[in-house]
Amino acid sequence: MTTAFRRSDSGIGTSISASLLVHLAIAGLFAWLQILHPFQVPTAPVYYVDVVNLPVADPQAGSSAAPPGKAPTQAAPQPAKSPPPEMKLPAKSAGKPVPAAKTAPPAVPEGKESASEFEERMNRLQQSSEARHAAAALDALRRKAAIRGSTPGIPGGTGKEAGSDYASYIRSRLVDAFQTTIAYQSKNPRIVMVLSIDRSGKVVKRRMESSSGDRLFEDSVSRAIIKAEKEFRPPPGGGTFEYGFIFSPKGVGEQ
Amino acid sequence: MLISPALLSGQQGYLEVSAPGNRQLQLAIAAPKAIGSAPQQDINNEIAEVLQFDLSLAGPFSVAKPQVSESRSGLRLGEFDIAPWRASGTDLLVKTGYSVSGENVTVEFRLHDILTEKELTAKRYTGNRRELRRIAHTFADDIMAVLTGIRGPFTGKVAFVSTSTGNKEIYLMDYDGANVQRVTRNGSINLNPEFSPNGREIVFTSYKSGNPDVFRRELFSGTEARVTTTRGSNITAAFSPDGNRVALSMSKDGNAEIYIITKEGKQLARLTNNSAIDISPSWSPDATRTAFVSDRLGKPQVFVMDAEGKNVRRITTSGAYNVSPRWSPRGDRIAYCRQHGSGFHIYAINPDGSGDTQLTTEGSNEHPRWSPDGRYLTFSSKRNGREAIYVMRADGTGQAKVSRGKSNDSHPTWSNRW
Repeated sequence: MTTAFRRSDSGIGTSISASLLVHLAIAGLFAWLQILHPFQVPTAPVYYVDVVNLPVADPQAGSSAAPPGKAPTQAAPQPAKSPPPEMKLPAKSAGKPVPAAKTAPPAVPEGKESASEFEERMNRLQQSSEARHAAAALDALRRKAAIRGSTPGIPGGTGKEAGSDYASYIRSRLVDAFQTTIAYQSKNPRIVMVLSIDRSGKVVKRRMESSSGDRLFEDSVSRAIIKAEKEFRPPPGGGTFEYGFIFSPKGVGEQ
Repeated sequence: MLISPALLSGQQGYLEVSAPGNRQLQLAIAAPKAIGSAPQQDINNEIAEVLQFDLSLAGPFSVAKPQVSESRSGLRLGEFDIAPWRASGTDLLVKTGYSVSGENVTVEFRLHDILTEKELTAKRYTGNRRELRRIAHTFADDIMAVLTGIRGPFTGKVAFVSTSTGNKEIYLMDYDGANVQRVTRNGSINLNPEFSPNGREIVFTSYKSGNPDVFRRELFSGTEARVTTTRGSNITAAFSPDGNRVALSMSKDGNAEIYIITKEGKQLARLTNNSAIDISPSWSPDATRTAFVSDRLGKPQVFVMDAEGKNVRRITTSGAYNVSPRWSPRGDRIAYCRQHGSGFHIYAINPDGSGDTQLTTEGSNEHPRWSPDGRYLTFSSKRNGREAIYVMRADGTGQAKVSRGKSNDSHPTWSNRW
């Protein structure tokens, strides 16, 4: 027995028509947007550099490639007696860019400045700027330290800062003492000990975060701390310093 | 010195402090001081000698003879000058005082930490004058407990076989060779004494009934019982860690096999069953495994099997003749003997067969037995002609002769403290 199947959709012609209508609508939308809102290419601000006073390159001036024994054609520049003229900041042009400026022939000024002189002048400017910044930063730190009334060291620091020199200093004292006390009976003893050092440099609290189970080793650590403590200086900042130290025999981790 | 800073985790910083080596603490034993009685040089000498020997063997200490003159020589902190001791480099100081009353002696010991200026422990003992060595050994055990967390084994006894009467009889002595006492008097051959865990009994092999049989003897009462009655050799018995069972080798069925029996002699299990000779069982401290010697591969080698006799695995792979294994009370090592030419040397190996280490190099050395704490070994050696009893640390250092007789002494075994 055969069964006759009847299509229930409206055929391919309807789909083509619908697609055509959608494409036409999108094209019209683009055209409308182009009329109302034309595309604008973002324009970068143009800065003009005055190339008139730039020195002409002189390959022999102060060249390190000069043959040995032969004096350079130009002596090293002497430090300027008067402060150098301020360098003009590039000014933003109010009008259109002037392409001709790139190709304009360099005009030679009356007092011709060599490359080395220019470099020297730039260095002096840079050094002057850096010095001003450093002085300002130092003044700010001094003011901060004066407000807190802290001791010399890391101004305003507590000794806990990353890379603190005080922590390294304490470690070095502990290492020296640990060399003279180390003793252990287990294979890989390891202790994590957090020390609290008060403003006078005394260890006021010891907290063992991780024990080795080796009493002999733990006693040797304790003895090292007591021995090293006699040489501790007060922590910077005047407060209590707290830091963790991991004690272990050298080379244990390599076994 | 290598110091490498390490930031572990979190906000708390950590710096690594490491140092090379393993330093021995400088321990000084001040001359004993008579308190309230006239000084007696023999007491002074005996106390100093015992402490010196015990603490020198101990390992963590370098025992020094004091070169310090004190203007005040009291026992307590504040009663003696600590500065000269500190200047001499002393880390630990043992102060001893005693008084004698008739046959009794009272001894007071104090252990001081010179660096920290702390008194670490103080003990006072009273006993008969004959107990003086035991009193000093006891304080040496206490020092070990305070400084290492594990009590010392110096009050333990050593049972051994001696030929001083012409026969091989079993004797007892202090671990350092003093106070020798005879245990058996049967005029026969007595071998391989092994202590029960509490140290109050021994099992041993004796030929006194004509057949090598295992006997059990209570040391305090002197009561002795025959444990094995089967024909053939019944040898190398060893108490289980709980003291209720005995592992031994019996050849009642033709060749030597490992059996488990009660300490009264009732057979519980047969662990091996093959045509080879299986002897010298030694329990692991948790009683889950047994080390033993078997020649099933041609030559005597040390094997390990589980408590049911299964999972047999050879652990000695070097040497053609390895015998007499003994499992450390700590469980981490097995001591045994390896033949070298015409003699033997003592080795120790991990139970998995790794870490095989030679411990003796001089003379011929046999029959290693661990101290109850697993830090020391006693063994017999012929390095000086006659066979004698020696002790050493578990790593083979600090070897010292302890038996003092002129006979051949062998088969030592070290008891728990009495």
